[in-house]
Amino acid sequence: MISSVLAITASAMATAQATPLIGIGDDFWLPPAASTFAEGLDQMFHFINWLCYFFFALIAVLMVVFVVKYRAPKGHSFRTDGPTHHLPMELTWLIIPLILVIVIFWLGFAGSKTLGVEGYVGLITPPRNAYEIQATAKKWSWLFKYPNGVMSDDLYIPAGEPIKMVLRADDVLHSFFIPNFRVKRDCVPERYGYLWFQADEPTGHSKFHHLFCAEYCGTGHSNMNRRVFVLSRPDFDAWLAKEASWLDVIPDDELYFKAGPKLFARCVTCHSLDGTRLTGPSWKGLWDRINEGSGRFTDGKSYRDLIGPGKQFQTPEDYIRDSILNPAGHVVDTYSPAGMPTFKGQLNDKAIDALIGMIRHVDEFDPKTGQWLKAAEKKE
Amino acid sequence: MTTINANPDAILDTHASRDNYLTHTRGFLSWAFTLDHKRIGVMYLVGVLTAFFVGGIFALLLRTELLTPGATITADPNVYNQWFTLHGAIMVFLVIIPSIPAALGNFILPIMLGAKDVAFPRLNLFSFWLWMAGALFAVVALMRGGFDTGWTFYVPYSTTTETGGVIPVVVGVFILGFSSIFTGMNFVVTIHKLRPPGMTWFRMPLFLWALYSTALIQVLATPVLAITLLLLIVERAVGIGIFTPSLGGDPVLFQHFFWFYSHPAVYIMILPGMGIVSELFAVHAHRHIFGYRFIAYSSVAIAIFSFLVWGHHMFVSGQSPLINTLFSAISFSVAIPSAVKVFNWTATLYKGSISLTTPMLYALAFLILFTIGGLTGLHLATLNTDVHLHDTYFVVAHFHYVMMGSALIAMIGGLHHWWPKITGRLYNERLGSLACIIIFIGFNVTFFTQFMLGSHGMPRRYYDYQPEFTTYHQISTMGSYIMASGFLITAWCLLSSLWNGERSPANPWGGRSLEWQCSSPPPHDNFPTQPRVGDCYDFSCVVWSEEENGYVVDRSLDPELNPNAPKRAGAH
Amino acid sequence: MSSITAGTQGHGHDAHGAHGAHGAHDAHGAHDHPPFLAHHFESPQQQFDSAKLGMWLFLATEVLFFGGLFVAYAVLRMRFPEVFSYASHYLDTIMGGVNTAVLILSSLTMALAVRFAQTGRKAAMLICLWLTLAGAAGFMVIKYFEYTHKIHEHLVWGTTFYVPPDNAEGQTEATELAKEPPPAPLGVTVADPTQPALPVLAKVPATDAAAIKPAARAPSGLASPREMAKAEGIKTGEGTTGAHPSLHLEDRKMPPNTHLFFGIYYAMTGLHGVHVIAGGVMLIWLIWRGMRGDFGPKYYTPVDAGGLYWHIVDLVWIFLFPLFYLIH
Repeated sequence: MISSVLAITASAMATAQATPLIGIGDDFWLPPAASTFAEGLDQMFHFINWLCYFFFALIAVLMVVFVVKYRAPKGHSFRTDGPTHHLPMELTWLIIPLILVIVIFWLGFAGSKTLGVEGYVGLITPPRNAYEIQATAKKWSWLFKYPNGVMSDDLYIPAGEPIKMVLRADDVLHSFFIPNFRVKRDCVPERYGYLWFQADEPTGHSKFHHLFCAEYCGTGHSNMNRRVFVLSRPDFDAWLAKEASWLDVIPDDELYFKAGPKLFARCVTCHSLDGTRLTGPSWKGLWDRINEGSGRFTDGKSYRDLIGPGKQFQTPEDYIRDSILNPAGHVVDTYSPAGMPTFKGQLNDKAIDALIGMIRHVDEFDPKTGQWLKAAEKKE
Repeated sequence: MTTINANPDAILDTHASRDNYLTHTRGFLSWAFTLDHKRIGVMYLVGVLTAFFVGGIFALLLRTELLTPGATITADPNVYNQWFTLHGAIMVFLVIIPSIPAALGNFILPIMLGAKDVAFPRLNLFSFWLWMAGALFAVVALMRGGFDTGWTFYVPYSTTTETGGVIPVVVGVFILGFSSIFTGMNFVVTIHKLRPPGMTWFRMPLFLWALYSTALIQVLATPVLAITLLLLIVERAVGIGIFTPSLGGDPVLFQHFFWFYSHPAVYIMILPGMGIVSELFAVHAHRHIFGYRFIAYSSVAIAIFSFLVWGHHMFVSGQSPLINTLFSAISFSVAIPSAVKVFNWTATLYKGSISLTTPMLYALAFLILFTIGGLTGLHLATLNTDVHLHDTYFVVAHFHYVMMGSALIAMIGGLHHWWPKITGRLYNERLGSLACIIIFIGFNVTFFTQFMLGSHGMPRRYYDYQPEFTTYHQISTMGSYIMASGFLITAWCLLSSLWNGERSPANPWGGRSLEWQCSSPPPHDNFPTQPRVGDCYDFSCVVWSEEENGYVVDRSLDPELNPNAPKRAGAH
Repeated sequence: MSSITAGTQGHGHDAHGAHGAHGAHDAHGAHDHPPFLAHHFESPQQQFDSAKLGMWLFLATEVLFFGGLFVAYAVLRMRFPEVFSYASHYLDTIMGGVNTAVLILSSLTMALAVRFAQTGRKAAMLICLWLTLAGAAGFMVIKYFEYTHKIHEHLVWGTTFYVPPDNAEGQTEATELAKEPPPAPLGVTVADPTQPALPVLAKVPATDAAAIKPAARAPSGLASPREMAKAEGIKTGEGTTGAHPSLHLEDRKMPPNTHLFFGIYYAMTGLHGVHVIAGGVMLIWLIWRGMRGDFGPKYYTPVDAGGLYWHIVDLVWIFLFPLFYLIH
């Protein structure tokens, strides 16, 4: 359910429904080689594979031939002429594999231009002029931050340029994995990690590469998938400019209508819209509960105690804003105090207003289709 | 020659009395407080096989869930996460690590040495009680809400997850660690000090070399697991900060500690299996093992190298490229002794007289599956390919090929090989062979597809997955059902032999090592005195006895044991 | 009727003492085995050699067990050298030194006990065993005082290290700490104060999670709690009943993550203390058997094996003492 809501919500704001670029059905072993070093890595993979096919065939064939040829005769007497050792042979099948593994190690580490193999050294050395994008992993979503401040749920990159990802995690271990680019790196909390890649072939907005979290992180581990769009430089610049101002260009009275669902993509793994209890309370009926004051917090106080004129939160909007920026301050009863991370620094005031509007109008939103059922209600 | 020398010392007494270790004393307490290594081995066997069954149920559950993307039999990813965690933890700690050493090793090792027991019988019983305690803690953990951390317990997830069973299960694993350590200590001392006359180091059966190397790893590596788990418990309970980033700690340090044990642990799993396979090939091809010395040396070499390669589980964890390079290079070194063994086993088939008995089928299955499993380790030891394959189904396939397709298959093969000795009954060969073939087919269908899933990018520990992976998952799940039925047939085959099986002679297969020179089942104290031994792979002394309806080892034919033995022509 | 009760102690690895070599009750009448020779051994020499090898293997496991903690110490020390040089001042070198002397002396008495067992001098052996046991007890008593003193000072592991005590001064500190924390000193990685604290902590007295998070950094820049209390007109220091300031919180020079030092300190010395207690139990068992007359020149294996164990317990302390108490 989660992934379908996410996909639908994401598409509610994207252009057409995009499709992934996959290899199953095309290639027996590997997905599309979409980064500049992917083919070099695939060469290594295939080289090892062919060695494996050879040795496997050798052992299997010998085994079958011997079993057939040297089957025990009827009765209980057996041959006694089987050799017990043969030093030259034993040394041969020790030394040849030793040489082979040294070759494999060296190719894996340093690569080889002549054989077209990209080594590990090339994989981990980002070029100096790489374009930096910061990726932050948390349970259970990714957030990509661009140098100009744009924040995006999906990863958009310019084609033909080296990209350096600066990886962080907010809570537990995650791992940034793009199969088509052949890159992976764990995201460790309170540490920065780097990886780099370059994709030359644009995907446009209608096709994408998968981005998976590859380090087990709990409930939503398999639903942190994101999409990687490779855009030609002009397209990328256009996208970046549009994203930088997308929230600003939306008139206030259409804020929740246009921006709410897109921003909600960051909330969807923990808050449902249909009443289902997830890691956090469902938004269904939330506005009413806050206004009636009927909910309770873990410290025993009720909404009514804290929300209202003269109280800690003058208005329900104040309370919602505080929950987004300082979630540990007051936790709804029966929910975990460690459940919600803060969004301080990620959502500006306009974004918060959009989400508040969405909470107010949640009954008018159909989570299954990701569409509003009613036209935007003009703000009074 | 098939005549039997009438010299009373020529053949050890194989049916001294009807009394054997099973009938020697009776009652629950005589088993619960037994000091007899054979009874302890049998109790371990029952425990380990029960745990295997439970771990297998969790595997079938999770494979069934993976039949379709999204919810199949459960809508809650947390439930799925618990299934794969339980499957892993039960299989690793309760089944594969103890299985061969504690269940088969305990039974066979002293008898192979002609000894009356292991060096420390009470420690042995204590090891078994610790195993039971560990299993009990796992049950307690389930009752306290289970645990969903993965069997690797990576921090910070394991210190912060709210499932209540984490600390109980970690305590259970800590206890199981000591069960393993004490078994290892016992075996090392027994092999050093209780060998019979004539059994120099290079006259030991290869199963004993394997158990010895395994015991060295158990003794040296498991304490590090113990301290790691202790630190994890303390970190989770009171937050000292050693692994928690916000308190100044390092989650990658946990990984180093954990894998320092867990890599050698996988060799605890495979080395005894390799030892069994050496025995199976030699006995069922009725032929001296090829390259005895190399196999013996390679067992010890694998034990030593296994301590130097743990970092290959952490190539993308953020550790430095220098360390990555070193670990990758050394990891390849472990491949070489294993390769040598594979060639030696294949060569043992050359000019043998191969009986396609059920144990031989398991040995052949091992050869194929271990070759695949071992070769795919190359992809993972190689730095550049591992970046792509780490934490995908490729790794899952690799370790199932070596842990299940090799170690477990070897264990089941050994179980069939020594079943007549342990129980005194012969199982139905046709049924056993059929089950082996079904397991082999089911195994490959289940796990070979997972190589492709992984190389195409399907990550591990995923409850939900992208639709393009569906077909492979469905094939894999079908394979798991086939495998499960194979195991059920095996269970039926073995269990029904207890009631319906023909009584077994002392030496149904024609083995030469000492366990085949006492009755099936063995008497309470194995041998009255430790007999002198010759070359346990010299089958020229093994002759068929119509009267026994089995083989006997005619020691008078061995020049080492009988100076008057007739000279033998032909290859030695 | 071999006794197995000694083998069922809670801590798995101290059962070695019971299983070093099995003693008087395993006599197998059919052979002329001496009463102390277990039925599965051919000769007393084989039994003795096996027991010794077994005990050495067990010592190897203990070395690796503690070795993990030594590695953790090394890693933490490498990453936070200022924490170690600062916090080691809180340890009482005198008490540590006395403990070291006590353990070394007890190793001497243990070695003498083995020698006396070997030469058949039962009374002397028993005296030495009792003295060794006294050494173990003395060590634990001194340790008890060290620990209680530290715990009283709130020099404990984890974030409890930063919890002000539950009294008037403590409450003032807690209020101050709960306010918006000062900007972090340059170069220090700061956890987001509005993030929920990790991990889920054990019960923490007198304050809420908000107080701990900023205090996981050094409270540098804060006014001393005494000054703050003075400004509020709250009584401080001597005269306040039961009040005991957590002095370390006032120390403006305390580096961040100082709690890590105490974490590893308690882990290592605590685990060592558990082993000392286990050794004490083993000594009681040896004394009991010794009094019963089990040991003599022909058979003193358990004393020998027990001695080996005691020496490794001593050896571990000899490494711990300088690493924590002596180097700065």
